[in-house]
Amino acid sequence: MPSRRVAVTSPQTRLAHARRRVPTAWRPPTLDPTAAERAMGIYTRQRRLAIVPILALFAVLLGIPVVLSLFPALDDVRLVGIPLSWLAMAALPYPAMIALARWQLLRAEKAEDDQADDPVDP
Amino acid sequence: MTTVLAVGSVVLVTLLIGLRGIAAMRTTSDFLVASRRVSPLLNSAAVSGEYLSAASFLGVAGLMLKDGMGALWYPVGFTAGYLAMLTLVAAPMRRSGALTVPDFAVARLASRSLRQLTAVVVLVIGGLYLVPQFRTAGLVLSVVAGSPYWVGVVIAAAAVSITLALGGMRAATYVQAFQFYLKLLLFIVPAMWLLLSVGPTVRHEALHPVEFTHFTRETPVQFDVAVTMELREPTTVDRGAGPVRLPPGELTAPAGTRLVFAEGAPVPTVRGGTLPGDEGWQRPLLDLQDAGHPLLGTWAVLIATMLGTMGLPHVIVRFHTSPDGRAARRTAAITVALLSVFYLFPGIYGTLAKVLVPQLYLSGATDTAVVALPSQVDNGLTGTVFTGLLTAGAFAAFLATSLGLLLVVSGAIAHDLVPGGGLARLRITVVCAALVVVLLALPSARLDAGVLVTWGFTVAASTFCPLLVLGIWWSRLTAAGALAGVSVGLLASAGAIAATLFAPPAHGWLAILLAQPAPWSVPLAFATMVVVSLRGRPPAWAAAAMLRLHLPDESHAGRPRRDLGHLSWPARRSSAVRRITRRLGR
Repeated sequence: MPSRRVAVTSPQTRLAHARRRVPTAWRPPTLDPTAAERAMGIYTRQRRLAIVPILALFAVLLGIPVVLSLFPALDDVRLVGIPLSWLAMAALPYPAMIALARWQLLRAEKAEDDQADDPVDP
Repeated sequence: MTTVLAVGSVVLVTLLIGLRGIAAMRTTSDFLVASRRVSPLLNSAAVSGEYLSAASFLGVAGLMLKDGMGALWYPVGFTAGYLAMLTLVAAPMRRSGALTVPDFAVARLASRSLRQLTAVVVLVIGGLYLVPQFRTAGLVLSVVAGSPYWVGVVIAAAAVSITLALGGMRAATYVQAFQFYLKLLLFIVPAMWLLLSVGPTVRHEALHPVEFTHFTRETPVQFDVAVTMELREPTTVDRGAGPVRLPPGELTAPAGTRLVFAEGAPVPTVRGGTLPGDEGWQRPLLDLQDAGHPLLGTWAVLIATMLGTMGLPHVIVRFHTSPDGRAARRTAAITVALLSVFYLFPGIYGTLAKVLVPQLYLSGATDTAVVALPSQVDNGLTGTVFTGLLTAGAFAAFLATSLGLLLVVSGAIAHDLVPGGGLARLRITVVCAALVVVLLALPSARLDAGVLVTWGFTVAASTFCPLLVLGIWWSRLTAAGALAGVSVGLLASAGAIAATLFAPPAHGWLAILLAQPAPWSVPLAFATMVVVSLRGRPPAWAAAAMLRLHLPDESHAGRPRRDLGHLSWPARRSSAVRRITRRLGR
């Protein structure tokens, strides 16, 4: 019969594990000054980059219902038998969102890479 | 029989894959976040697998039958959430190193009371999301296998809690990644088969819907919950004792009865609503509560689902299984694409259901429309097999979503609300939480999965969305502001939902704003957080706590960072950081 597997550790480690763990005192988060400078640059750049995709997302998704409610005639226009307004709701948003996601992913990653390549010291 | 086989095999495979995870399970971190070693491709499949719940697999088509074509806006919002997440939350949230939103509250704002409040919010969202999963499991099984409602509920709960109590998140990752592709397959193949085998007449009618005014054939309708219908004209109905001609007026079908409507009988209306296929039904806008404001209704659902995704606790914890922030962001991007593929198909089921099983709208059991379709097209073995496949897919959907949800709910209880204890206590909590959800699900048969789940999104959008967005992008956020904002958002959204459920029905735009409160509760929560924060003073380390979230992970930096080992503690103190970040606060 296979016996239970036991982790082999030093006596100190066993003692430490057996003891009840007391939550350590909370320490304020710190940042190295150089890292802070770098983080600051990335933060402002990412914040700037994030505005356009979010606005575009809201504009496209909240805009399509407006267009559909302003132009009910789109219900009668048909593309391969399917009403154009149905396509605008059920098919059009998805490729638009995939394109937007891809674009934003590349921009955000590039912003991080550029920052990493920048010299830290002047 | 086929159904039992199909459901049984899904449950079995889930259990087997779950068991596989046990071997590698040693610590709480293994249990909760799979020790953070999951690649973006696997993780995004797991995210999608976890995310595609009963509401997506069955609920969207069901809501289409009930509310009209506009219900297709729900999946658009479900997908858009990941784009918002990718842009605003994914990478910084992962870098915070926190396992859950309550942990994030501690890491960013160091507030114990905020941690407990957010844990309560996790329980509310988890409840709103878990109940429809279990409830739909019971409903589907009662339709396809004829078992009582509670049997399916108990089976789903047992499968989920056993997998989870044994395997934890390590197990859940594999289970969910597998289940995404399983669900995709079990959703797309039957859709294609249905489209090809229904014949040109049905296909034409699906694209040119006509109002469902008269029964085209003798139609039996099974009522699982009591429904009061309004007969518009004299109607011939068989209540089990031969056909009777009933005069116009109210007709109540008690729970558990079966009515057979004669061929050519006029279709009664329910809840003063309209009939499927009428002018409003065909519009690509969502007229919630028949309030007459389709644009507002559509916007309300879009805002709730778009902003709610980033606050869903089971989705957030999934991003923590990525190795770093960059992988988390990639996970979000791939998820947008995976979900886009899946969500092209609910529309097919919805339009076909309107033609083939419109009578489900009478009993309110529209969530069973998807699994009811194959038997309408083919009475023989093929139809049974496809019913079995769809049922298996639906069960995969309940199981995957419930796994992640039950995990975060028990995590919130065992980790944040009543801390202490180890893996063993976490496992017991899982079983207890499942039991409570079963008790809640038993009386909830009449609530639509899509509606309940969207309420979960609404609460998330009104509480966690402002907390995460402001916590990540605004260094002046204070713990008091966050507490006030989350409380206001929770009270506003949960209060509006309670009013819709228990108060007398409202009318017009008020009804929409009560049923989908996101358009006002989200801005209200944001405003409360900002105003209360501005009246207080953030601690000295606030800027450092926020900036840390934006610092890219070391392994991806173009070159090694300067060695800072020699810098002593005073050089890293918060005033040094504040000097650099002074312009932030303005």
